[in-house]
Amino acid sequence: MSVAQTTVKADAAALPLLQSFLSDFWTVEHLPDSARFPFELALEEIFINVVMHGSHGRDDVWADVTLRYEHHHAEMVLRDNGNPFDPLAAPPPDLDAAMEDRPVGGLGIHLIRTLMDEVTYRSVDGCNVLTLRKHLDETPAH
Amino acid sequence: MNVTHDTNNRTTTIHAAGRLDFEAAGAFQKDLEQAVADAAAGGHALVLDCAALDYVSSAGLRVFLVGARAAKASSVPFAVYSLTAAVKEVFDVSGFGRIIDVLADRAGALEKVGRSA
Repeated sequence: MSVAQTTVKADAAALPLLQSFLSDFWTVEHLPDSARFPFELALEEIFINVVMHGSHGRDDVWADVTLRYEHHHAEMVLRDNGNPFDPLAAPPPDLDAAMEDRPVGGLGIHLIRTLMDEVTYRSVDGCNVLTLRKHLDETPAH
Repeated sequence: MNVTHDTNNRTTTIHAAGRLDFEAAGAFQKDLEQAVADAAAGGHALVLDCAALDYVSSAGLRVFLVGARAAKASSVPFAVYSLTAAVKEVFDVSGFGRIIDVLADRAGALEKVGRSA
């Protein structure tokens, strides 16, 4: 099994660092490019959520990201010490609403739940922990 | 993200390239709103070429929605075309294909906005 981990301050300026971290892992593990998108998307959606909401009124919030790959299964765990928040508890957006009625937002979690095989939330020792898993069809090109 | 514009035959084309993520969304929204205002003033249609747009997140989707609403409010014909696989997946999953005109190619987009040759 391959594992990589990084920790950043909950600041939107750290997003490019996290995306490079993910991209490097993908390259080192020879994972298929076509399977990277859902992980890039989830990383942005969840991290920005922590920045915008989880760190509201605080400047001591961090987030760490752990990536694992084993036997065609990729896993990403995002853990943060921000305000307790279960994004999976939000109701799904109304995808049939007319353009004028569409709320500007609320789509991020829906996208992640649809594109990932499994998304779970746990609160552990006061931290929010989101675990995302997806089976990768293509064999890594070793 | 890199954005360029060109206008001919009463149609403004915005070529969006790169990553439309949280960081890029603010500037692109200003760009798109200005393009809608200019198109309304000039009586132009507006089409958005996404052939080189590799990535879009929910922050980017929001910009598409804001742009499409502004175009509709200003009676500017508006369509997007040539979505990459990742962007098309995001449009499909979010149901945006039902509220924004998405065409497979430029010819289809021009026809949709009433500017086919």
